[in-house]
Amino acid sequence: MEQFTALSVSKENRPVRYLVVDDSVFARRNLARMVESFGGVMAGEAGDGFTAITEYNRTLPDIVLMDITMPQMEGIEAVERIVRQHPDARIVMVSSVGYQENILAALQKGARHFVQKPVRPDVLYEIVRYVLNDDGVLVGSGVGGGHKQGVPS
Amino acid sequence: MTPPLDDRSSDLRELFFETAHELLQSLNEDGLALERGTGGEEAIRRVRRVVHTLKGDAAAIGMRELSQLAHDFEDVLTPELASERAADVAEAVLAAADTFESLLSAAAKNLPSPGGESLRALIRRLCAEPAPKAPRVAVDSKAPRQQASFEWNEYEHSLISETLAKGETVYHVGVSLDLTNLMPSAAWQLVRNVLHSCGSILVLHPADDAHAEHVEVVEAALSSTLPLETLRKRLRIPAVTGEVVLDRADVAGEALHELVSAQHGAAEGAAIPSAAPSAAAPSAHAAAAAAGAGAANNLSAASRAAALVDKTLRVDSERIDDVLNLVGELIIGKSMLSRTVAEFDRRFQRDPLAARFADALGFQSRVLDTLQKSVMKIRMVPVEQLFRRFPRIVRDIAKMRGKDVALTISGESTGLDKSILEPLAEPITHLIRNCVDHGIEPPEERIAAGKPARGTIRLSARHEGNHVVIEVGDDGRGINRDRIVERAIELGFVTPEEARQLTDMEALGLIFIQGFTMLREVTQISGRGVGMDVVKTALENLKGTVNVQTAVGKGTTFFLQLPLTLASIKALLADVGGQLYAIPVASVVEITRVTEGEIHEVDGHEVFQLRNQVVKLVRLNRLNNAGAPARASRRLFVIVVALGDRKFGLGVDNLRGEEELVIKALDSRMTQSEFVNGASILGDGTVVLILNLPVVVARLSRAVMAEALA
Repeated sequence: MEQFTALSVSKENRPVRYLVVDDSVFARRNLARMVESFGGVMAGEAGDGFTAITEYNRTLPDIVLMDITMPQMEGIEAVERIVRQHPDARIVMVSSVGYQENILAALQKGARHFVQKPVRPDVLYEIVRYVLNDDGVLVGSGVGGGHKQGVPS
Repeated sequence: MTPPLDDRSSDLRELFFETAHELLQSLNEDGLALERGTGGEEAIRRVRRVVHTLKGDAAAIGMRELSQLAHDFEDVLTPELASERAADVAEAVLAAADTFESLLSAAAKNLPSPGGESLRALIRRLCAEPAPKAPRVAVDSKAPRQQASFEWNEYEHSLISETLAKGETVYHVGVSLDLTNLMPSAAWQLVRNVLHSCGSILVLHPADDAHAEHVEVVEAALSSTLPLETLRKRLRIPAVTGEVVLDRADVAGEALHELVSAQHGAAEGAAIPSAAPSAAAPSAHAAAAAAGAGAANNLSAASRAAALVDKTLRVDSERIDDVLNLVGELIIGKSMLSRTVAEFDRRFQRDPLAARFADALGFQSRVLDTLQKSVMKIRMVPVEQLFRRFPRIVRDIAKMRGKDVALTISGESTGLDKSILEPLAEPITHLIRNCVDHGIEPPEERIAAGKPARGTIRLSARHEGNHVVIEVGDDGRGINRDRIVERAIELGFVTPEEARQLTDMEALGLIFIQGFTMLREVTQISGRGVGMDVVKTALENLKGTVNVQTAVGKGTTFFLQLPLTLASIKALLADVGGQLYAIPVASVVEITRVTEGEIHEVDGHEVFQLRNQVVKLVRLNRLNNAGAPARASRRLFVIVVALGDRKFGLGVDNLRGEEELVIKALDSRMTQSEFVNGASILGDGTVVLILNLPVVVARLSRAVMAEALA
């Protein structure tokens, strides 16, 4: 796998914590490996929307990677509920191209970004960096990117 | 610039809204005519005129957005376009009516105005595709949209300069979307989210998601407190945006040329096509032209307003109600006076004063009568005010359901009290919707049944004595009586025995019982009857009735009977167990006397014979539980009333005569009983309760089926 400059949370200088939500164990594993290659850690994972909400409340992750189609509670509803409780939640939707409508809805409900499946690590890396940087939380520690500044929010 | 709405005199404002609604109505009518292909050039010219008037009036009242939209719309309305692309134009006209309406109602309620984006998109589409005569300034979508060109229209320019004038920072933002992204509308939404999080969006192209699938460049004017570099960074959204063009707008209003050339320099390598300066020039020119036209319109609107004010006086309807109430009090006073005079007559029969009293009283009551009628007349409005909205409703539903339906309207000049007319809108809409939805068959089915493919709905109004009758009829499939009865038995509204005795009208009346639904049968007469109780209740509240006639395969007609006014009622006064009740004369057929011996019991009902007819007896003394011991020789008065096609006898103790009652609305806290739907005060101060006959008969005669009559 490619090597990425590790991303970390600037204020506390700790690794970025991820919550990965997908009903496929394989997809979760795959994403977990990717985020670890970004220097992040898994705060938790969930296989459906309900668990996603409880896991979010328990772990308060820096970023959520959320699948759209899941049993019990769909990604959109989970987004809506999480964002309602935590307006600052940073949720990136992960979905195949066929679900554009759902992505659109999730964005309207407060998701911050989306990434298409199959997920390309370099794209996800840029997206995560963008989403975290956007709030001034994140700094790519070390070289590369040229986006060192964390803008105070 | 333009003063805000509330700085204008409120009279002018009201006048504007009223005339605007008339204009919209005519827009709707012409839109429908264009759609049918019956309007021709005359219709398009009328539409143009209306839109033009609206533009001028809106500008005069300070509604810039509406004025601007009307202006844009007027531009594309050429007769050539109408003849070549009639359907599109018709659609745009109807959409314009809707958009204008929502802008108006938002303004009337002082709400922030909803965007007119969808209309703008339609307008853009109209002139984007080849029209025989190219409209004037190239509207943005014509230009190749590879680069940001910031071709805001006049309205958008003015919005930007207003915001600048408030001291805010405005950026011109051009963002090209990453074409490798396979979800363009999601990408577009994300850009919009980001813009939104950065400040307030003044202008956004494209404005709606309808065209988002083909967006390559998003252009916006954004008012933001963020520094330019932060903004730029945020707008570089990975996997979504490509090039970002960002420019601070600090040029006020009219210096359009400079603005464009400034962009030229600052545009970070994204070359502005040479078209930009030339596009700016005509739009500046257009702005000047529009300003001139606007001024002219202001003048004409003002003088038109003056002319209207001369002839008509617009008064808050509450003020008329006040007068009407006072007239009511006077009528009570008159009856007090006449009692006193009668008393005087009896005591001082020879006194010459008696005759003079009588003269004075007679004169006074004549004047009072005229006064009452005059006030009533003020409240009368032609039913046309209600009817004119229905062609559009029929058209919309028919289109949605894939049916071909024509609406014919007659008797639209019939007058009806405004307070009755307004609550009628909902029930009639409901009936019409049912007609289109369930009454009229799809074209194929109609042709198979040997009927014209196009169904017809009739809406008519006429005076009938002291009433107005409104008919809503269709030539559709009709209602199957047996199915209704079957269903009513299933639902437990009637027993099979009762069902056998039902007249046709009663059987059909079953659909008005709350909770009645045919929904189980989705195919045949699906849904007919759903929510029909709403219609019945609305009519009952208005002291009216609703009846149905139907013929299977031929159609269904609903008859709504309404009093001319809710202010007064002619009623028969009757004593029942010491309480005085009023029975609306309109329902009374005759009065008779029956001895207890002539009353028989059939099927658990008390009945008596009226000539060759057996009539059910309803003893009103059951209302106040004063059951008098019955002796066979005792005679009681029976008031025979007709409800629907059935007669009932109301047994009362004594009759007091007929009187014109001024109806006092009862506070809902006071009316615990549905039996009564109003009250009045007599000259001697006695309170009379006005009976709600359908309910009284239904409840006191025990049978559920009677409820269907109301």
